[in-house]
Amino acid sequence: MKPRRIIEVGLPRLLAWCLLGFLFVPILVVIPVALTDRDYLSLPQDGMSMQHFAALADWSKGWLPSMLTSAGIALACAAIATVLGVAFAVGAWAAGGWWPSLMRILLLSPMIVPPIIYAVGMVKLWARLSLLDSYTGVILVHVVLALPLTVLAIGASLSNLDQRLVQAARSLGARPMTVFGKVILPNIVPGVAAGALLAFVSSWDEITVTLFITGRAVVTLPRRIWTSIQDAVDPALAAIATVLLVITVLALVARALVEQRQRQRKF
Amino acid sequence: MALLVIDDLAKTYDKVTALTGINLSVEAGEFVTLLGPSGSGKTTLLMSLAGFTTPSKGMISLDGKDITHVDPEDRNFGFVFQGYALFPHLTVANNIAFSLRVRKWEKAKIAARVTEMLSLVGLDNLAERKPRELSGGQQQRVAIARALAFGPRILLLDEPLSALDRMLRETMQKELKRLHRETGVTFVYVTHDQEEAIAMSDRIAVFNHGRIIEIGPPRDLYKKPSTRFVAGFLGENNFLSGHRADDDETMVEAFGTRFGFPLAKSREWPGDSLTVWVRPEDIRIGQAIGEEVGFRATVVENSFVGALERILLRTATGEQMVATLRSEAAVAALPGQIIDCRIDPSAIGVLPNETSGL
Ligand SMILES: Nc1ncnc2c1ncn2[C@@H]1O[C@H](COP(=O)(O)OP(=O)(O)OP(=O)(O)O)[C@@H](O)[C@H]1O
Ligand SMILES: [Mg+2]
Repeated sequence: MKPRRIIEVGLPRLLAWCLLGFLFVPILVVIPVALTDRDYLSLPQDGMSMQHFAALADWSKGWLPSMLTSAGIALACAAIATVLGVAFAVGAWAAGGWWPSLMRILLLSPMIVPPIIYAVGMVKLWARLSLLDSYTGVILVHVVLALPLTVLAIGASLSNLDQRLVQAARSLGARPMTVFGKVILPNIVPGVAAGALLAFVSSWDEITVTLFITGRAVVTLPRRIWTSIQDAVDPALAAIATVLLVITVLALVARALVEQRQRQRKF
Repeated sequence: MALLVIDDLAKTYDKVTALTGINLSVEAGEFVTLLGPSGSGKTTLLMSLAGFTTPSKGMISLDGKDITHVDPEDRNFGFVFQGYALFPHLTVANNIAFSLRVRKWEKAKIAARVTEMLSLVGLDNLAERKPRELSGGQQQRVAIARALAFGPRILLLDEPLSALDRMLRETMQKELKRLHRETGVTFVYVTHDQEEAIAMSDRIAVFNHGRIIEIGPPRDLYKKPSTRFVAGFLGENNFLSGHRADDDETMVEAFGTRFGFPLAKSREWPGDSLTVWVRPEDIRIGQAIGEEVGFRATVVENSFVGALERILLRTATGEQMVATLRSEAAVAALPGQIIDCRIDPSAIGVLPNETSGL
């Protein structure tokens, strides 16, 4: 290789790999830690052990219930935030003009206001409405926090859609609900799916506001982890992280496979 | 009674007047073209007909019934958009079937109609393609088939050919004429291309600044325009200044010659100064014979443009004039030469000098 080529191609490539390593190596460290034979966060010493994975499955330890709670809340939040996000984004897209832009800024404000400030406000409000430490309360808060994500994702999909498709459909005799169901929705599926996923993930790992507005009744996974960190760092955390990592990798691989199959069908 | 009647229609946006005083009636089966420069209000009128724009004033009626405020989906008008606006997620067949599914036709009837429409526009083997897998011309055909599938009362087309290249545009013009003939559907067609309008229309409505300047069959508008705008917008034209002869008010003097008021002899116009127009193809070389109007002019430039030769002339009054001649007739017209030219008097137009900018 000529020296110039090393500088122009090799160096950036090396840098890219270093960056990737920096991002992912710390994540991979959780795998051996999860297999430790000790009761504290450490690498395996006298051999590997599955005891921490077993602990996860033990209902009485509270990991499993909190996972189910989080999954339930995240699913509800994703469903509600997606429906609202579609309604808002499509409405704003179809209407045009100045008011949708104003509404969009308002909707995005949860992303701009620091969560801690939002949390303090929510405690006051939920106390008055007796929604503290309730599923409804948590889901509502998560929905508000997720809305900017769904609106942005769906809005991005819509911005690639030709406004005249609506006029075309109407000139062909379609009423507004048909236009929505048969023309708009099928064309923004990727955005809707991305929005739903983002909403799910944002609810799944929301901690700041959740800490303030929950107590004993609603224990989400991040809350359970938070509590466990406070006494002693339990290697079960590493086991959870490993499980989540495996799920994520599987999801990404599945997505890549589906995409590849679609591409093959196209050509 | 006319199928579609537009009565004193107007549309104003905040400050812009997009349309004023539009009166137009369209007969069943007619091919009417709205022709005009960019921003003259053609799309606004078409959108009002389709129901996507609410007029500020006036009425649109179909079969004598007021439809000014009827929703677009209830009008049964087909619409072909510039850029086609095909549904990207549906196949060609499903694009065409869209209006039929909305109308809850039976499955078998839909399939039969889709097949019929596909063969009408010559796309029989592309039924299962998605729009993005088609060429511009093919997408155009799908858009037309989709708009015709449900048997619209009127087909509205907004510059449907402007995105195509020249060759394809000419093919599609013929194709559209054929579809118009075969389906018998009334076409209201928007374009800013005057050649296209002349080639296709039964009647042309010429627009400028939100008004209809003149309406008529292409031949009449071309041969006997009554405004300077139409005389200049349809086809190429030479405009020259003239005036009434001092000694004989039935005669006009222009470009160094004189002739009787050729077109509207009886009309009396105030003031002496007139605008005279002569189409480039009506100017011939040689001594005037009989009724012909003869004049002398200097050849400035001679350029070959295919079948014809374009000659730029300077008249005795110093004005420039373009003549298009067959090549063999043009051999004598070398730059710098002074030549004899002749024009049939019926080909000369005379218009009053307009003060307004119409
Ligand atoms: N939604 C709107 N708001 C404000 N002004 C508008 C709107 N739509 C059209 N206009 C104005 O109305 C006038 C007529 O526009 P229109 O689109 O009908 O012209 P057109 O003849 O179709 O031109 P083109 O050949 O460029 O398509 C223009 O001056 C345009 O700026
Ligand atoms: Mg237009």
